[in-house]
Formats: sequence, structure tokens, C-alpha cells
Amino acid sequence: MRGPGSGGRARAAGAPRPHPFAAPASAVAGALGLDPAAGRLLELLLPGSAGEPLPSPETGRLAEVARPRLRLWEVPAVVPPPADALRVLAGHPGTATLRHWAAVAAFAHDLVRRGRVIPQLVPVPTSTPEPEPASAPEPAGDSVAMWAVPPDGARAVWRPVLTGADATYFRDLALAMPPACRTSRTERPSAEVLRAALEAFTDAGVRRAVTAPLLSKPPRTLQERWLAALTGDAASCPDAPELRQELERWHDAVAASEGGATRVCFRLLEPRDTDDWRVELALQAADDPSLYVPAAQVWSGATGLPGRPERELLTGLGRAVRLYPELDRALRVPEPAELPLDTAGAFGFLRQAAPLLQAAGFGVQLPRWAGRTRLGLKLTTRTKKQSAAAGQGFGLRELVDFRVDLAVGDETISEAELAELARLKVPLVRVRGQWVELDDRQLKAALRAVEGVRAGEASAADLLRQVVQSDDEELPLLEIDADGVLGDLLSGQAERRLAPLATPPGLDATLRPYQERGLAWLSFLSELRLGGVLADDMGLGKTITTLALLVHERAATQTATQTATQTATQTAAPAPAPAPTLLVCPMSLVGNWQREAARFAPGLRVYVHHGSARDAAGIEGADLVITTYGTAQRDLEILRQHEWRRVVCDEAQAIKNSGTLQAKAVRSIPTGTRLALTGTPVENHLAELWSIMEFANPGLLGPRSRFRTRFQEPIEARQDEQATRALKRATGPFILRRLKTDKSIISDLPEKLEVKEWCPLTTEQATLYQAVVDDMLHKIDDSEGIERRGLVLSAMAKLKQVCNHPAHLLKDGSRLAGRSGKLARLEQLAEEILAEGEKALLFTQYAEFGTMLQPYLAQRLDRPVLWLHGGLPKKTRDRLVDRFQHDPEPTLFVLSLKAAGVGLNLTAASHVIHVDRWWNPAVEDQATDRAFRIGQRKNVQVRKLICAGTLEERVDEMIERKKALAERVVGTGEDWLTDLSTEELREVFALTAERVG
Amino acid sequence: MPSWYDGPIKAQGGIKARTRRGSIGSTWWSRRFIDLLERVCDKGRLSRGRAYARQGQVLSIDLAAGEVRAAVQGSRPDPYEVVIRIEAYDEARWTAVEESIAAQAVYRARLLAGEMPTEIEELFAAMGLDLFPRDLDMDCSCPDWGFPCKHLSAVLYLLAESFDDDPFLVLAWRGRTREQLLGSLADEPAEDPLRVADVPFADRLADFYAPGATAHRPERRPAAVAPDLLLRVFPPPCDLGRALTPAYRGLADA
Repeated sequence: MRGPGSGGRARAAGAPRPHPFAAPASAVAGALGLDPAAGRLLELLLPGSAGEPLPSPETGRLAEVARPRLRLWEVPAVVPPPADALRVLAGHPGTATLRHWAAVAAFAHDLVRRGRVIPQLVPVPTSTPEPEPASAPEPAGDSVAMWAVPPDGARAVWRPVLTGADATYFRDLALAMPPACRTSRTERPSAEVLRAALEAFTDAGVRRAVTAPLLSKPPRTLQERWLAALTGDAASCPDAPELRQELERWHDAVAASEGGATRVCFRLLEPRDTDDWRVELALQAADDPSLYVPAAQVWSGATGLPGRPERELLTGLGRAVRLYPELDRALRVPEPAELPLDTAGAFGFLRQAAPLLQAAGFGVQLPRWAGRTRLGLKLTTRTKKQSAAAGQGFGLRELVDFRVDLAVGDETISEAELAELARLKVPLVRVRGQWVELDDRQLKAALRAVEGVRAGEASAADLLRQVVQSDDEELPLLEIDADGVLGDLLSGQAERRLAPLATPPGLDATLRPYQERGLAWLSFLSELRLGGVLADDMGLGKTITTLALLVHERAATQTATQTATQTATQTAAPAPAPAPTLLVCPMSLVGNWQREAARFAPGLRVYVHHGSARDAAGIEGADLVITTYGTAQRDLEILRQHEWRRVVCDEAQAIKNSGTLQAKAVRSIPTGTRLALTGTPVENHLAELWSIMEFANPGLLGPRSRFRTRFQEPIEARQDEQATRALKRATGPFILRRLKTDKSIISDLPEKLEVKEWCPLTTEQATLYQAVVDDMLHKIDDSEGIERRGLVLSAMAKLKQVCNHPAHLLKDGSRLAGRSGKLARLEQLAEEILAEGEKALLFTQYAEFGTMLQPYLAQRLDRPVLWLHGGLPKKTRDRLVDRFQHDPEPTLFVLSLKAAGVGLNLTAASHVIHVDRWWNPAVEDQATDRAFRIGQRKNVQVRKLICAGTLEERVDEMIERKKALAERVVGTGEDWLTDLSTEELREVFALTAERVG
Repeated sequence: MPSWYDGPIKAQGGIKARTRRGSIGSTWWSRRFIDLLERVCDKGRLSRGRAYARQGQVLSIDLAAGEVRAAVQGSRPDPYEVVIRIEAYDEARWTAVEESIAAQAVYRARLLAGEMPTEIEELFAAMGLDLFPRDLDMDCSCPDWGFPCKHLSAVLYLLAESFDDDPFLVLAWRGRTREQLLGSLADEPAEDPLRVADVPFADRLADFYAPGATAHRPERRPAAVAPDLLLRVFPPPCDLGRALTPAYRGLADA
């Protein structure tokens, strides 16, 4: 019901009722560690029935109200001071609304860190009115009324400055704001609520950061009292209307500065001759940077730019001249278009003015070489003639010739040329047609460098280490020209340069071309006894490539052994079996590895070292030993006693934190070589990259602290390009990462890739499962007909629920984390999908499970998780679908199989996961096809989650075995199961004990 | 209580001087005006005027071409009328000035960015004109003998303060308002860039607790090249730059 003339603001009729389920304010305060004195009773508009408001998603309960309406509810609340609110939000926000406020707090922190704040003076009404009710406990209310009792009539506050990209993000945050965050007695506009919260947070943030007072003496004037109130806890000060108005005008001038339709742009143009550099002045459309109009054109009038180009150009120039006084010269004409500069001036623009102007929001365009082409070193290595002939036998211990030259870009320069550059004493020089920035420090370093002899002979291993660890910031290593193995390695292109290895005999599959190249790369590194990181996108087959490597090596050793046996006398002792490979993976993947190995590499002897029945005796005679991170840590001493050909870490994110016991344990197992498998883009997480590299090639990247100062900080804080390049060169030889979208890969991939994922049961799941089976078998003995069918179907439903999660069966609202093998695997998959920046559809046939999944995944992954089920009105569904289809953000979409049956077009998804099985291929395919509508161009990966050792696996096997019959057998849904005999049912439902994790 | 002292009637809602202590003249143009004032009336009178202004005795000031009119509450019930005249330039002269201003973009650029370019005074001088008056033609309706009287002094002081805040007032006194001078370049109210259109609650009942869209996290942007960049691009009013700089420097580590 709407209030009269309230313009869309809903207002509920009737007196507010107490919220029947709300916790008392003191309990909320206690749970969040807040002062209980901040407790209030607020009246909030909430949707629900007459008896109760709808449950929020985090309760895991399905809403059962058919037609919810807005009503006023009395809700006990805690209204903390902003600083306390920030502390609570910095914890681990558990609900969607708290996550929203946490994002607001993070935004405020970022604005403060970048100095996008401005001090203001805000008057406070002398009689403090009743505080405006707001959504509690979130700080959504009127910040002034809620958080201060001012004795002085005004407060000094730090306000955010929201322009440009910050204004865009502000609007994004406002649009994203859950209605629950902005509810009160009335419906409040999100922008208003957001602004109040953001102001409270920036103010608290500045006060936390600026610890020293701004005045060294006691304040006397009004202005000084305001300055004093800008730091510390006491923000109140007397009102000073003139100062207030001045500050407001200042704020408005700043806020209006980037709100325009265009921004002023400076573009450095290279000289046509020798010394006539120019900075071209221009305007750029704010929403379309490709719309770039030089000032000369602005003056002539025909720009196609929005707004008032002349005015914006002039105003921008007037501001820019404060940062770059040199610009004044360009403005001495009626219609300025460019600023002429000499070489020194151009260098000054590059190094000083450009970063400043850019930071102030102006557009700056520099020539391509700026900040890139500089003086550095070039390393050339050549294999010695005789060893080149040895081919494969060449290793990293071999000696090679090397030479180090001075270089600019990819051109080497002689000592004489360097002397000439030094003589010119200009910071920008042209070397063989290419402009180079040359500062004094660099020049001195170069002159020092040419004094020493920089050629000779060294082992390939030494050179490799030198290249990887080279970190001369003045004279960086720019270019490497190497041949032979070193060349293959250092190019970072070894995968392309090596001859692909065909599918080895004994592998029960055919490798795709890129997998053959991956195999060649793995084998190449292995032979050099170097560790590698295989970081291909998920779905590209890291598992099978690794298995292929083992099969390939086994075949090679056997051939070698046979040859040796044949050539030697018959009495020679048989060669000892090569040491096994140890594979460490998360528990949820053990079953997967075991099954994939059995299927694709049946000749490999696999031993799973896991579970209470594990026996280290099984290690002897195995080719592949599979264990978990937990077991590896517990059995470290046993594992260390064995000889390992290789240690493989799957889901190497598990060792991303180098300090954890798991990571240390895995690193400490002695082995010939190491291999890390990971599906997340390691290059985006530098701390993790170091840790994984430290596992693969211990010591190669140097100590952690050095890595942090040399690479991590420059790249993460400043996007330093040179550090990025240096890191790529240092790690490139050891990391192979191919994307599904690579041109050379995509053509090798099928349009639809179907994968089964086997998950273990937890002990809790297994116990529940067994209880359900026992109960059913006991009951059906005494029943028949419809009753028996009913019993079987209900037992089957319960078993599927157990496989999903114990809480799904128990429906007791208990916690979800750590209790289901399937959920653990689902989380891993979702994390990888999101890390790859993609979208996925998650199908479940149980609405109640989807209701549990959505808030859980949203909280764990901190990414958008949408949930579509039959209970939603059409409008809401359409909005969800539209958002999923058009939002560029990686997103998960949980759908109930029934609700998603018809009419949905979800082609934005590149992954489909069937969380539970319907066992009707037709229904599953129909759901899968949501992602395959017309207009679909990319490849889609379909995963079916199956709990190992349960009826899920058994039924799946039956379907696979009877492919031809499948449709007839299961085409009618799940009814066919009820026709099985008790004995057959026992077999289908029985739990295979060793599958339990 | 009857008093032998005939002091001023306390004015209500008068214009008060901005600062209790400290001085005006933080910008070069208001400094120039104060130099002028100190020539036409001695320091003592001016500081008396300041004290008077602080009491809020000046009720109104209106500035028009060539003339400033003010009402000051003195000891009589009717406020005194104060008039300060300077020469307003005629159309022909202004046209010439405008041409000179247009010849160099720097004037318009700086004026639009809110400051008075120092060279503008030279620009006037080159045409044989004064931007700031050499002399003031002042008059007050009070019976006081001293010249300038405290009413005049108070108005002069407030005038200097206004010039501090708005450089365009000097030009307006000479006959050209900001709007006339900048013509089509003058301000117009901008649209609020932070406004969004909310989906009404009525359409969000089914997902009341869920985000309505995704906020696209912007890439983490590096801390400002210079932490006090904002202060440098937009100099704060009231000479606050130096006082605020340490605060901005402290933010980079937040």
C-alpha cells in the first residue's frame, strides 16, 4: 500500500508490531562486541505476512508467504559509532547486507588512502531531534543525528570527494544496495543512505589515520577551533557560518571538477625535427575516451563532444596550470592548442608533470616508448659446438659462452655510442631512431658496467639463476638471445618451441594437440630436474596431462631397462623399479584422481595413502601414490624416508600460504623434481606465486622478503611495468598457463565438455547414509505395492539429500562448512570458475538446498550468487536472468531444476554444474541447454557431481553401461528404481566403505 | 538604564566579520585593495572599523557598477547610509579590455578556475586604466567628524573580505559582472552525478535482503602521486593550505 503522494515511497498501514524473531539489542551488541548502551528500538518496513516478516536468506529457510506485503515492524537494534561499525565490518561479514556495508567501508578506506576527502563544517540543530530510524545495525541513518550529541552547534567532518570513477562506483554501490539496507519507517533513497554512511566512514577513517593534531597551540579563533576538531575523537566545534560557506564552496568546486561531460587531455608528441617537442591540448569525452578532440578543433566549434567544450577546456587548463606552471606559456594566445617544449622540458613533462596531472584526473597520453624503452643489458648465450650435437643429453650443467652488452630496447649499443650519449648530457636521446629516457643514475651505471669485461663461459644453470634473480633496477636485463635448452627455457615459449610428445602407449585416451605440447613441456622440465607449475584453465585436462607424463616416463624407463637387459649378459640383476611419484591433493579430489588413473592409465600401479587403514607398505611397488595434504603432514616422517621421483601438488592453492604447516611439510619431502597443478591464475596473486614457486623450485626466486620489495610491492601498489616484465621473465620458464580462450586451444576443444566429479562423503554423511539404508531395507521387507514404492522413493530422496549435505536431510538449520564432501568440491570448482572471470549455472532439484547454498556460497566466495526458484514472481526472475546475462562480473546462478525448465536463456554461462542428479539424461540435458541457446559461441563445460561409493555412483554406472538402453530405462524419471528387487536395491543403495573420506 | 554614553544600537542579523583574529588579504587581489585602504585611512581607523564590523553593525552591502551602498546601524534608530563610489568604465573601454582578455586564454582559464590572474592588473594598466581605484569617493550619512568614520571603515573592511572570497567583485565594481565577462562561459547548475533510480521496495519483496546489482569493484588505484594533490589543484579557502597539508600527507598510509 502506498501513502498518498509519497511518490513511490511505500508506507505501511497500521501500528507497527514487534518483530517476532528479532534478537534483543543486548544480544546483537554482545555477538558483535559492541556497547549494549547503543541499543535502540527502530521501526522498519519489512516484507512479510501479517504474522511475521519474511526470513532473510541467511536463515536458510524458504519463504512460505505467497504474497508478501510491506509492514512496519519494531526491531531492536544497535547503533554503533562509525569507528566501531568499521571494526565490526572489518571482521568476516556473514550476511549480504553486512557485506554491502563492508564494501562501503572498503570504499571509504580507499578514498581516504587516496586523499579524496575534504574537511567541512556541518551545523547541528541545537535541539537534538528523535533519531531517524534506520536499518539496524547498519549505519544507514542520518549520521549527524545518530552519532553525535554536539554541545557546540557544529561538527568538523571529513567528507568524501566523489568524482569520475569514484562517482561511478558510488552509483554502482547505490544500485546494488539491498532494500534491507535502506529501510526505515519509510523507503529511503539508496543514494542518500549511502552518502550518509560513506561520510561517517570517511570521517572515522581520516581520524584514525591522522593522529597528530593540526594545531600546535591551543585554538583561539573559530577557524582554529574547527581545525582542532578535525582530528581526534571530539568533532564538535562552534558554528562559523562564513567559514562553513567558504568550505562548502570549496567542496562544490572540487566535486564539480570531474562531473563534466569531458576532461582535458595532454598528449606528448615526438619532435618532427630534433628538439621541437609539443604537448597537444585536447578534450576527451568522459564516458568514451576514444572520443578525443584536439583543442584546435574545439576552437573551430565542430567537436561532437557533449556539454560545453570551450568552457570545460578553459576551466581544466586553468586548474592544470596550478600543477604544471610551464603550461602558462601555452595559454598566452586566444585559442591555445599546444605547448612547445625543448628536450629538457619534454623530459620534465614525462617524469614530473604527467604523473601529477594524471593523478589529478586529467587525461595524459604519452608515446609508446615512455617509461619502457630505456638503457639496459642484453645477454647472449651460445651453445658450444660439440655439445649441440649431443642433443637430448644436454643438461643445465653444460658450459655455454655468454656475452653481456648494453642495449636500448632490443638494439645493442657500443661503448663509443654510450660515450657520445654521455657527452650530450640530455635526458631524452634518440638511439637508432628510437627515443630513450636516460637519467643520470642510469648513465653512470652504464658507464660503470662497460668497464668490466662481460663475456666468458658459464654453466647454463648459473646463467639461468642469474637471469631469474637479476634485479638491477638501474640497468635491467632487457633482452636475452639464447640458443639450445637455455633458449627454450628462457624464451618462456618452451611449450611452443618443443616438439609435441604424442600420446604415450599405455594411456587410454587421445591427447589433444595442446595436451601433447603440455606433456612435452612437463617432460622437458623434468629431464632438466626443474620444477614446474601447470596452471592451465580448468577443463583443459591437467589431470590427464600429468597421468600422461607418468605413463610416458614409465614406458621410457621400461624400454631403457629392456634395452639394458638385452645388451647385458643374462645374469645381470634386473634394474630397480624407478621411484614412485607422490601426489598430494585435497581430500575431495582423492577419489577423482583414483578413478581418472584407473580409467586413463590402467597400467599405472596406484596406491592411495589415506584414511585410517593406510599402510606405508603400499608405497613400495607403486608408480603413483595419492595422499592428502592433511595426511602428508601427519605422515611426514614416513614419507620423507621414501625416495620419490617427483612430488606433485594438486590444487596448489592449498600451499599458497608459504608459512602453513601443510606447505612446509610438502616442501620438506626430498624428491627429484616437483610439479604444482593449479587452476587459479597464479600471476594475479603474487604472494601465492612466490609460495608455489618456492615449492616447485626452492630458492630460485630468492627469499620472500626480497621478492616482496622487488616485485610484489612495485607491481601491486604502482603497477610497475618493469617489475612486471622482470617477474614474468623470472617465472615464465616454469609456469605453463593456457586459457580456454586462446586461439590455438579453443579450436582443439569440444563445444561441450562433460566431466564427472567424484566427491567423498564425510564420516557424518556416511553414518547418516547407512542409517537411512538400514531403515529402508528393514521397512520394505514388510511392504508391497504403492507403499513399497513410496518407501523406496522417499529413501532415495533422503540418500540424495545426505549426499548433498547432512543439513539438507536434517533440515535443522545447522552450519554448512566442513560437513559435506560434495559442498567442499563445489566450493573449489566455483572458486576456480570465478577466478577465471566466468559464470556458472548450478542446478539442484531441491529448492530447499538451493536456499541453503545461495547465502553460503555468496559469503564464502564474496561474489554475486543469484538464486532462481519457483517461488519468485516473474518480474524478479526476469531481473535475475537479465542481471546474469548482462553483468560482466563473474557470477554464480543457482537454479532449481524445475523452475529453470522452460523459457530461460542463460547463454552467458560457460560452466554448468549439476549439484545433484535427476538420473534422467533428457531433463539434465534440457537444463544444460540453457547455456547453449542460439547466439552461444563459447565452449561450455558441464560437470556432474557424484558422491563416490553411494547410489549416485551406482546409478551413474548403470546409465553409462546401458547407454543404449538408458533412455528407455530412465526416460520416465526415477520410477524405474522402485521396480527393483530388494536384493537389487541393497546393491544399488549400499555404501562402499572405502569411499568414505 | 539611561546612559550618558551614546553607544551604537546592537544590530540583529548584521554582517559579521569573518575572522575573530588574523588578517584578511590572503590573496593578491584583496591584498591590493587593503594596500589602498591603508592609504586612504590610517591603520587605527581600519581596525576600529573591523571591530565595529565584528559586532555585526553593518546590515547590508550592495555592490553595483561604480557604487557600493551599505546600511550601518549606528547610535540612531535609522541606519546610516554609506556610499563608496569609483569610476565605472564605459562600454568602449570594457570592449577594449575584453578584447585584451580574449587575446590570451590564460585569463579566461584562470578566471573560470576561480582565481584572478596577477597579470590582469597589468592588462588594465597597459590600456591606461586602473583595476583597483587610486582613490575612493566615500560618503556616510552620520554626523561624525572623523574621516573616514567608523561606519565607512567597517564597510571598507567587509568589502576587502568579500574581495578575498570573490575576485570577480572587483571587476563588477568596475562595471562587468562575472556573467557579462565570461559570457557563454559562465556557470550553469550541473546535474547531480550521484543520483540513481531505485527499484521500489514493492518490486523487491522477494529479494529484499539481496543486492539488486553488482557493484563493480574498481581496480585498486595507487595512492596519489602527491598526497596533497587535492589541495594543490583546488587551493582551500581562508589560507588553510598550510594547516591542512600535514593531514593529507598522513592519509597515504591509511
